[in-house]
Formats: sequence, C-alpha cells, structure tokens
Amino acid sequence: MKKKILIVGGGTAGTMTANNLANKLMPEIDRGEIEITMISDSKVHVYRPGAMYVAFHKAAGHEFIRDQRSLLMLEVDFIVDKAVEINTKANYIKGASGDRYEYDFLVLATGCQVAADRIPGLQEGGDWFYSYEGAKKLAKKFEKLKSGRVLVTVNFPKTPNIPHQCGIAPVETTMMLHDYLTEKGVRDDVEIVYSYPTKSQAVENGLFLQAPTSEVLPAIFDSIGVKHKTSFTLSKVDPDKKIAYSEEGEKMEFDILMSTPPFIASDVVRKSGLSTALEDEGWLPTDKKTLKVKGLSNVYTLGDTVDLSVSKAGGTIHNQTDVVVDNIAAELRFGYPTESYDGKVIAIAQMGLSCGMPLWYDYEEDVQPTPCSKLGSFVRLGFNKSLYWAAARGML
Amino acid sequence: MSEEIKVKKTAAMQEVEDKMTMLVQTGRLDNLIDVLAVVSDQIEMTTTPIVEKMVHSIDNIASAGFVTENAVRYAKRESAKNEVPSLFGMLKLLKDEETRKGLAFMLHLTKGIGKQM
Repeated sequence: MKKKILIVGGGTAGTMTANNLANKLMPEIDRGEIEITMISDSKVHVYRPGAMYVAFHKAAGHEFIRDQRSLLMLEVDFIVDKAVEINTKANYIKGASGDRYEYDFLVLATGCQVAADRIPGLQEGGDWFYSYEGAKKLAKKFEKLKSGRVLVTVNFPKTPNIPHQCGIAPVETTMMLHDYLTEKGVRDDVEIVYSYPTKSQAVENGLFLQAPTSEVLPAIFDSIGVKHKTSFTLSKVDPDKKIAYSEEGEKMEFDILMSTPPFIASDVVRKSGLSTALEDEGWLPTDKKTLKVKGLSNVYTLGDTVDLSVSKAGGTIHNQTDVVVDNIAAELRFGYPTESYDGKVIAIAQMGLSCGMPLWYDYEEDVQPTPCSKLGSFVRLGFNKSLYWAAARGML
Repeated sequence: MSEEIKVKKTAAMQEVEDKMTMLVQTGRLDNLIDVLAVVSDQIEMTTTPIVEKMVHSIDNIASAGFVTENAVRYAKRESAKNEVPSLFGMLKLLKDEETRKGLAFMLHLTKGIGKQM
C-alpha cells in the first residue's frame, strides 16, 4: 500500500517542501511506495515580497506570479481545491469540492492572511504592501503625493512572542519610501513618521522586534530625516479625518497610512481546533525542533502559520523545509525523525531602493546589523527575479 | 627627527606581516590590487537594469533545465516500466493528448530554430 504525503498550501512553504520531498524520496517514488499530493486554493503561485517593489513602481507585479504547476516536479500531484476541514483523527483533509484527501503524513503550509478588520477603520483608512492589490493602490497614492505626512504603523499578533509577517518589512519600506520620494524630488515636503508599538516580541518601547537592531535604528532614521516614534500601538483609524489613534492614548494625523496590519492564520486552520492562540489568531502549536504540530505524530507545519518566534518569511522557510523533509523521509525509512530546526533565518533586507543588507539569526542569536551595500542589493534583486523560483523548485 | 616605537605583535599579526611581505617581494600584491580594482569597478559600473537582464537570462536557463529534468526522469521511468513498443504501439502512444502536446511543442521549437537559420 502506497504511503500518502499530503501538502496543504501552494505558497513558498508548500512548494519548496513538495519539491524537496520529491527529490529526497525519489528511490521510494521509483519503487511506487509513496505518493506526494499538494492541494492549493489557487492555480497560481505568488512571490509575496515582490509586492513591496510594486508599491514603489519598481515592478509591475506580473513578474512575481507564476503558474503553480510549472513550479512543481512531475512527481507531485497538484490539485486545485480549497481545504475546508482538517481531521487529524481520521487523517484526512476535506476540500471545498467535497473530495476527501487522506494522508499518512500531512504538511500544513497554509500561511497567514491580512486581518485589517481587527482594527476599526484600518480597512478603509490604511494601506499595505502585503498583497499585490494593496501595493498597486499604494503605488498610485505615492505617485500623487507631493506633500504631507506618511505614517508607518506596525501591529503584532496578540498572542505573545509571535511576529507579524516579515519582521524587517516595515523598516525596508520606510527606507524605500525615503529613496523613492527623494528620486521624485518631493522628499523635503513629505514627512515620514515611523512608529512602533509598545510591545513587540522581545522588545518594549523600541523600534524593532529585536534589541540590537532596535538600538541602531534611531541613528539610521535620523541620518535620512525619518521621524520615529515608539509606543504607538495602532488601535483605531478615522478614515475621513485621516487620524490614527493608539492604545496609549495618542493620535496622529496622516495623508497616507502605510501599515503593517494584523495577521491571522488561514480559515481552515483557525476552524480546526488545533490552535491555542489568543483571539482566534489560529497559529499552530509547533514543536520548535521537529516542526511537528504538537500532539500530532504525523502532522508537520512550517512557514507563516506556526507559533514560533522566528520571522514569518521566505528566509525562514528555506531553512525549515529541509528539516521537515528530512524528518518525514527519516520517519518513512527508520520510523523516527532525525533532524532539528535551530531557528535559522537568512535573508537580504532591502534597506532602500539600492542597498541590500545580509542578515541571519537563529533561536539563540539576534540579527547583528551590518552596513548595507550596492552589491547586497544586486544579490537581493537576483533572488527576487530568479533564484527564488529555483529555490521554490527545490533546485537550491 | 624620528621616534622609535615598539609594537607588541601577536602571533597572528606576525603571520599576516610575513605573508604580506612575501606578496610585496614577489610582486604579487600589485596583481592582487589590480584584481580588487577590477572587481570594484565592475560593481561600480553595474546598474540595476543590467542585473535584471542577467538574472532574467539565468531564470530562463534554470526553467528550461527544470522542465528538461522532469521530462527525462518521466521518460526513464516509463521506459523502464514498459516494453519497447511495436510500430502499432508507437501509434497508440501518439493517441495520448500529453504526448501530442509535447510533440507539437517540439515541432514549433524546430520551426523556431529554422526561422533563425
């Protein structure tokens, strides 16, 4: 009887894992012992970080969207269906089509989604670059902007010690905005205010979620004339008067509110009853080493849906996927998992339109900020436009 | 007037000095500086559009490699599973829609090459 590995989700985590599994388990596939199936609610694959460039007219958007089938190895069966039920007792996923997908091993790679409605007025009054539609809207506003104030706000999940999607993105986009407005020749007439909430994972009253970076940011922002404000936890937006209110009792006017909105896990995971996160946020309780869902011996998870403290970003997934794949392969071959995730995250942050900063950290050590460089920016560009697709295909 | 300064060197500092001395004495340092200058100049002269075009080409090559690898693995697996087909068996293979799709692609590819000759 063939063993079935089912992957739910066709984003970065699901795609890398499906292809890496196919590569790893090729002898078993050749012998007809296992089958790998992916179900996704979309026939296209979206490289999410690309939206950031769309917001500043550095990309049109289509460059970052591809046919999902074209990214999967032939050994992976691909089915477009939206998962609506997870049954971990009877080991199946139910699709919106009514079909049931049974599994011996399940990988939940269902990501996270923007939940702007959790802050009154944010949906109507705020903008964000975490989706292509949002980024295009923002790009049009930036194009028209000649003077006024852009307010940057950041919201964290209410569940303790969990980051929002891509921790460095608010800093990256603030610096990109500075460069963009400078290129346009209107920077002197536009005030940029970067604000950060009182509580952000390990840091209180800072400007970033890790202390070493939080400490160097004031000097970096001062050098480019970006104003910064700690302890501003966005709680309400008045879209008509264009005023942002904070939990701390302050208010700030804005012309454009570039926000990092609240994020929650996908609907199917939130409804599954597997999560113990606060306020129905739905983060999956994840073993930080094996990357199994706690209490379930045959269910793995990775990427944006986990309740780990590491960044919800591709640079995290690229390291997690090898652990998940090795562990599933080891379970099939030896009966127990053998690998352990050390929390490693590797990325190149886009610190302005033409400067890239390599960064790495893990469970033990925070990011140590280093100077960004033109060469770093080229490497990031190379990753965005080419290496990402090779990584998604399991080629690197 | 010059002043004598005594510097306490670590073993590592002494090693660096010895190696640098060797590079200077053999004239290699000049070449190394030239190499670094060329690398630095390349970075200076490279622009974002140049990198975009380069990575686009790399992506095309990687995509073609991915498609080919997939097809070769599939063909090897099918060939191992099945007997060599007879002439009639060949025709049966051609009935398959995906096979015809692939063949049509190869014919278009051939025409695309022909157009450039």
